[in-house]
Amino acid sequence: MQLHDTAKLAVLLVCGVLFAPELAQACAVCGAGQQEDTRLAFILTTAFLTFLPLSMMGGAVWWLRRRVRRFESSQLEMRPVDAAPLSRASSSR
Amino acid sequence: MSVAVRGGGRLRVASESRREMLVPSGVLGMSIFVFTEIMVFAGLISGFSIIRSGAMIWPPPDQPRLPFEETAVNTAALLLSGVLLFVARRTYQKDRTRAATPLLISILLGAFFVVFQGFEWVTLLGQGLTLTSSSLGSFFYLIIGMHALHAVVALGVLTNAWLHLRGGWLASSRLAVAEVFWYFVVGIWPILYMTVYF
Repeated sequence: MQLHDTAKLAVLLVCGVLFAPELAQACAVCGAGQQEDTRLAFILTTAFLTFLPLSMMGGAVWWLRRRVRRFESSQLEMRPVDAAPLSRASSSR
Repeated sequence: MSVAVRGGGRLRVASESRREMLVPSGVLGMSIFVFTEIMVFAGLISGFSIIRSGAMIWPPPDQPRLPFEETAVNTAALLLSGVLLFVARRTYQKDRTRAATPLLISILLGAFFVVFQGFEWVTLLGQGLTLTSSSLGSFFYLIIGMHALHAVVALGVLTNAWLHLRGGWLASSRLAVAEVFWYFVVGIWPILYMTVYF
């Protein structure tokens, strides 16, 4: 019986979403995006705010990787002469 | 102390000083802070763009025009300040004692930018552009004010670095922290200028 009520509620909800989308004013995008310019601005800013942090994180990872490589190569150059066999073993792999 | 060990088929260099050599803690902390601040400004710019696109007439007809010609001079001063900070870094790497002059000029140019902005605000307030007069006023004072706040704090950091340099105990990492912050302030300004003033 309870499942039946839930199913009815779900059907009602789907009908509401399908046939009365103009009533969905809860979010700023639905309420404000009436003009084409505004709708475009929403799309562009959404893309901007999505990709900006990702590109910054990617840039940080790239920069850190470059620094690690530079650090490792400088460490290998600074290694004492008696440790040369270890260096050769490493470069051969 | 540096020890070379083999592990996982690759050479690994275990070093106590590795962490500080890779990225100084101060630089890392400031970089994370700058990342978050970039997102703050990105949010503000996005909000401004949406409000602007929804307006029939922009800027609002009853509001004063923003002085983009005068601010162009100000922008040049700020950019030059960034260039001089770069020069100061290069000089610092060669001869620390000579880096104080370009660093001081960089600070003075930054201070000129902030003071000029203050005069601009006084003029605009006198012309009727306030925080509550229109959405342009709200966003202008919020975005530009936020930037000015960052510029003032960054100038404090730069001045602190300059004082340490004059005293002869400025560490490279401390200068790098100030650089990251100031480059952020300088780098984000043209974007704000092009977005808000035009």
